[in-house]
Amino acid sequence: MSRGGGAAARLGRRALRVCALPAGLVALWWAAAASSRSYYLPAPDAVAVTFAEVWFSERILADALPSVVRLLAGFALAAVLGVALGTAIGSSPRLRAFTEPVLEFWRAVPPPVLVPLLILLAGIDDAMKVLVIVSGCVWPILLNTVEGVRAVDPVLADTCRSYRISGFTRLRTLVLRSASPQIMAGLRQALSIAIILMVISEMFASSSGLGFTIVQFQRGFAIPEMWSGIVLLGLLGLALSLAFQRVERSVLDWYHGLRAATRGE
Amino acid sequence: MSAVLEVTGLRKVYEGGGRRVEAVGGLDFTVPAGQLACLVGPSGCGKTTLLKCVAGLMRPTSGSVRLAGEPVTEPPPDMAVVFQEYGRSLFAWLSVADNVALPLKEKGVPRARRAELVRRALADVGLSDAAGAHPWQLSGGMQQRVAIARAIAYEPRVLLMDEPFAAVDAQTRAELEDLIRGLWQRLGVTVLFVTHDIDEAVYLGQRVLVLSASPTRVQDDLAVDLPDRRDQLTTRGDVRFTELRARVYARVQAAKRGERPAPDPSAPPAPAPR
Ligand SMILES: Nc1ncnc2c1ncn2[C@@H]1O[C@H](COP(=O)(O)OP(=O)(O)OP(=O)(O)O)[C@@H](O)[C@H]1O
Ligand SMILES: [Mg+2]
Repeated sequence: MSRGGGAAARLGRRALRVCALPAGLVALWWAAAASSRSYYLPAPDAVAVTFAEVWFSERILADALPSVVRLLAGFALAAVLGVALGTAIGSSPRLRAFTEPVLEFWRAVPPPVLVPLLILLAGIDDAMKVLVIVSGCVWPILLNTVEGVRAVDPVLADTCRSYRISGFTRLRTLVLRSASPQIMAGLRQALSIAIILMVISEMFASSSGLGFTIVQFQRGFAIPEMWSGIVLLGLLGLALSLAFQRVERSVLDWYHGLRAATRGE
Repeated sequence: MSAVLEVTGLRKVYEGGGRRVEAVGGLDFTVPAGQLACLVGPSGCGKTTLLKCVAGLMRPTSGSVRLAGEPVTEPPPDMAVVFQEYGRSLFAWLSVADNVALPLKEKGVPRARRAELVRRALADVGLSDAAGAHPWQLSGGMQQRVAIARAIAYEPRVLLMDEPFAAVDAQTRAELEDLIRGLWQRLGVTVLFVTHDIDEAVYLGQRVLVLSASPTRVQDDLAVDLPDRRDQLTTRGDVRFTELRARVYARVQAAKRGERPAPDPSAPPAPAPR
C-alpha cells in the first residue's frame, strides 16, 4: 500500500511539475485575450474548439499528412547524405583539404539566410519541397559528422589496425560509433531546421500542406483557424523532438554513461 | 630455435612542429620463437616507438623489422598488442565481452569457439563477472585486464605488451605476471614485454634487454638464467634473482645518466655524427 501510494504520489508530483508552466501560460493567454478583446487574439477555448473542428476531419489527411511525409523524407535523405559525405570527408585528409573552404563558408552561414534562395527554388511539386528541406538541413549533419569522424581516437584506430579490423566492420564499430555523439547533435539541429523549411516551402507556391493552410486561413481572416494551425505545428514539433530524444537516448546510452563516469558520477 | 622476430638497424626520427626527435637510434636484436623477452629503459627512451614499429603500426625512418622472415610493413596477422593507453584502446560503446570478441569475429572464429575463448580469457584475468559491463564502468586496473584478455583470446603467435601492468595494484600485478607466464608456457607464444619495473622484467623474462636513453640503443642484453618454474616468493628470494636485478638496475641507471653502450667490436661501425 505504502509503496503503491508513494509511486502514485511521485507520478502526481511529476505530472504537476511538467504541466505547471504550460497551464500557467494558457491562463495568461486567457487573461490577455479576455482583457484585450482583440479580433486577432482569440481565447484558448475558442482555439481549442476550432482546433477540433478544423483538424479532426479529412483535412488532417489532406494537409497535415503530406507535410509530415515531406518533412520526414527530406530529413532522412539529408541524414543519409550528410553522414555519408561527412564520413568520406572526415576520413580523407586530401578530400578535407579540398572541401575545407566551402565547408568553412557554410559553417559561417546561418541557415535562415538561405530562406530567400530556397523560396525561389520551392516549386509546386513535392520533389522540390523535399529538396528545399534537404538542402537546408544537410549542413549541420555534414559538418558535425566531419568533426566526429576526425576526432576518432588514434589509440582506438591503432587497436583496429593491429587486430586487422577494416572495411565495413571498422566503419560500423569504430568510425560511426565514435562519431555518433556529434552526428546526433547535427541531426538534432537539422530536425528543427527541417520543420522551419517545411513550413516555409509550403507558404509560397503551394496547394497543400500545413504552411499553405495556415496562410490560407490568415488571408481569409479565419483567425481562430489560423491559430489552430500554429498549435498543430507546435504539437508536431514537440512530438518529433520527443521521438528524437528517445532514439538519442538509446543510441548514445554509452556516451551519457561515459560522461557521467568521467565527471565522477 | 629460429629467430621469429628480427630487428635490424631500426631508426625512428620524429619530425614536425619545428622539432626533430630521434627516438630510436639504430637498434639490432632478434627474438627466437617462443621467447619471453622483456624490454626495460628510462621513460621517454623510445620503447613505445619501438613496439609500434614492430607491430607494423609505424614506418621506421630506416632499418627493418622482419617477422618469420617477412618484412613487416603493416600489422601482421597473429600478432596482438596491448597498448600503454589501455583505457583508450577499448570500445566504450561495446560491452567487455564484445570488446574481447570483436577481433575474433573479424578473424572469422566460429560463434561457439568465440564464446568459449572470450569466457576463458575473461576468467583468466578474473573478470568473469564484468562480461556485460561497459569499460567505463570499470576501474583503471580492470580496464587494463580487459585489454589483456582481448589480446590473449586472440591467440596470437607474437604478443607485444607496452607496460601492461602499470595501472594495477601489487597483488593483481603479481597474479597477472603469473598469468602471462602461464599463458606463455601453455600457448608457446613469443612475447615482447615492455616495462618500467626492473623486478618485473627479471621475474617475467627469459631475457632482459636494457635500452639506453633516447635515441635508444641496446644498452645490455642479458639472459635470465632462473628456473622455468617461478613463483612470487621463492624466485624473488633467490640469490640469482637479486644479482640479476642489481645488474639490470645498474645498467638502467647508467642509461639514465646518458652513458652510451660500450661499442661492440663485432658490430658495424656507427654512422659518423653530422
Ligand atoms: N608522435 C610523436 N611525435 C613527436 N615525437 C614523439 C612522438 N611520439 C613520441 N615522441 C618522442 O619520442 C621519444 C620516445 O617516445 P616513446 O613514447 O617511444 O617513449 P617511451 O619509452 O615509450 O616512454 P614511456 O616509458 O614514458 O612510455 C620521446 O622523446 C617523445 O617525446
Ligand atoms: Mg611508452
